[in-house]
Amino acid sequence: MTWRHLMRGGLRQIWRYRLRSMLVICCAALGVAGAVTSVNYASGGREQVLTRIQQLGTNLLVINAEQSRSVGGRERTGTIVTTLVEADYLALRREVEGIARSSAMVSAGLRLKAGYLSKVAPVLGVEPDFFAIKSWALASGDFFHTEDVRRSARVVLLGWQVARDLYGEENPVGERLFINRVPFEVAGVLAERGQGLDVINEDQQVYVPLTTAMRRLLDVDHYRSILLELKDSRDMVPVAADVTALLRVRHRISAFRPDDFSVGSQQDLIDTQLAAASRLGFLVRWIGFSGLVVSGLGVLAIAWISVRDRTREIGTRRALGARREDVFFQFAFEASVLATIGAGSGLGAGWLASRLAASQAQLPFIFELQNALLALGMAVVLNFVFASWPAIRAARMDPIKALRHE
Amino acid sequence: MIEMQGISRIYTREDGTPVPALRDVSFSIGRGEFVTVRGASGSGKSSLLNIIGCLDTPTAGIYRLDGEDVSGYDDEQRSTIRCRKIGFVFQSFNLLPRTTAVENVEIPALYVGGRVDRDRALDILGRVGLAERAGHFVSELSGGEQQRVAIARALMNDAPLLLADEPTGNLDSAAGESIMRLLADLHREGRTIVLVTHDDSVAAWAQRELLIRDGVIASDRQLPPLHGRAASVAAGA
Ligand SMILES: Nc1ncnc2c1ncn2[C@@H]1O[C@H](COP(=O)(O)OP(=O)(O)OP(=O)(O)O)[C@@H](O)[C@H]1O
Ligand SMILES: [Mg+2]
Repeated sequence: MTWRHLMRGGLRQIWRYRLRSMLVICCAALGVAGAVTSVNYASGGREQVLTRIQQLGTNLLVINAEQSRSVGGRERTGTIVTTLVEADYLALRREVEGIARSSAMVSAGLRLKAGYLSKVAPVLGVEPDFFAIKSWALASGDFFHTEDVRRSARVVLLGWQVARDLYGEENPVGERLFINRVPFEVAGVLAERGQGLDVINEDQQVYVPLTTAMRRLLDVDHYRSILLELKDSRDMVPVAADVTALLRVRHRISAFRPDDFSVGSQQDLIDTQLAAASRLGFLVRWIGFSGLVVSGLGVLAIAWISVRDRTREIGTRRALGARREDVFFQFAFEASVLATIGAGSGLGAGWLASRLAASQAQLPFIFELQNALLALGMAVVLNFVFASWPAIRAARMDPIKALRHE
Repeated sequence: MIEMQGISRIYTREDGTPVPALRDVSFSIGRGEFVTVRGASGSGKSSLLNIIGCLDTPTAGIYRLDGEDVSGYDDEQRSTIRCRKIGFVFQSFNLLPRTTAVENVEIPALYVGGRVDRDRALDILGRVGLAERAGHFVSELSGGEQQRVAIARALMNDAPLLLADEPTGNLDSAAGESIMRLLADLHREGRTIVLVTHDDSVAAWAQRELLIRDGVIASDRQLPPLHGRAASVAAGA
């Protein structure tokens, strides 16, 4: 049988048994669409995690003033550690190499009052570099500057959610805000960040100059923490070691005593998140692959039924001179044409579904062409294998028995 | 044309017991003969026809077709023989469903390779009196018409040997007679025909009768010439 006849006859059969053909196409399409969509969905999730990590900063070290008893450095609540002071900070900046930018920080939950609306929120005293380190943009207004820190200016930056809570849709820039009865001027509103990886919602906090918080609000001369941005994230370990050594000397901590501070990076958090994302990705890939196999089994089932239904035809064709390979190619051709059409339309459907899923879940829309093509290729191969089995069965059939069938 | 020497065909049941369907059968059929094979149900007629038609191989014995020993041929070689030399006509027509008459006629041409000659298929359909039905789907044709399409299909590759297993079994006597008239015409053109039937009036169209009983040939006799036509005229009147 020539190729031309094989194709013409095959396409004709596909059209004549169009219901069955549609079933095969749908089956193959669903498999590919499912695989493509789930993989893309997982990639979207991973992308989101990566974006959040970027926000968090992969090159940050945080020094917290806290007494660590256990070796793991678990925080002991309720103890106020007052030993982390400006002199330490200056020494750090002077003596530890590899620090790009930094911000000392204090914080406390204080009452905010705007007009007759009031709420309690975490108030952070920070330096201007804090926002640069966090690569945080403004929604409106202006940041505060070094000058404001020097003057202990009473200016405040509002987290996005706080601005919403206290001022609604109005633009609060220039408005007056009382923090613990001290009047402040709202300098700006920070852009929305959303829930971070570290559970803290930065949109629900307000930010004032470091010295303002220390002198006018909290009346303290020690820091809660110091945020360090490294020039190179690969220096994380040596810099942390330098910081630890320096602070231990400065705080006169003897060899077997625990630190009165902790030096932490976001790395653990990032590692956990990435591991979770990649586990999810793995799972989703498997689900996608299983979907492909299941849809392949569907193709197999329909092809099998088709061969059984057409046993008489097979016997007749054999009696009329068809060789085994003619019968095999006939059935294999029909099935693989259908599987390929199905897989192709599944790719299109998967693209659409990925878009939909991404917009529903507010994830970034990602279409991984490479994975999609992989799914497509796998579907075609799988379906060809699955469809070949019944075709082989058809070819092996004893023509006499096939003729007697029914 | 056909030469059988000591042909046996022993089937094996599922449980392993042997079923001898043909036992040491020997005969020959010359080119252009019109032979009917008769016998009780289960006597081995279809088994014999399958071997003649190279659908099946004998368990023992030598079968020569056109002087060529085909008894040891493998599946592919037998397919080629079927394709080029043999036209099958079945009791239940065995046309492909959801397919037009002319496409059915073309099928054997698919397996010789090369071009499929649509005009030839239409010509042959014209010869069996179905020129107007060429584009009809099989399901739109009467039983007699379907069998004529099947005969046209058997002629597509110009097979010199036509094998018919109860071709009139599913037809009424009028349709059956027109089929037999067609076969008689083809015989007159020089084709060799082997016909299995239970029906006396159908058998009467042949020149020679092989009677099979329990897998052996019980008798082999010439039928009186023109006897068939006379009988059918009588039956039709
Ligand atoms: N595939 C098979 N397996 C086992 N036994 C078989 C097989 N085919 C045929 N037989 C047996 O071989 C014998 C001859 O069968 P065959 O079909 O040749 O008879 P027949 O003369 O054509 O009968 P009928 O007139 O009913 O068609 C029967 O006894 C049958 O049961
Ligand atoms: Mg029979």
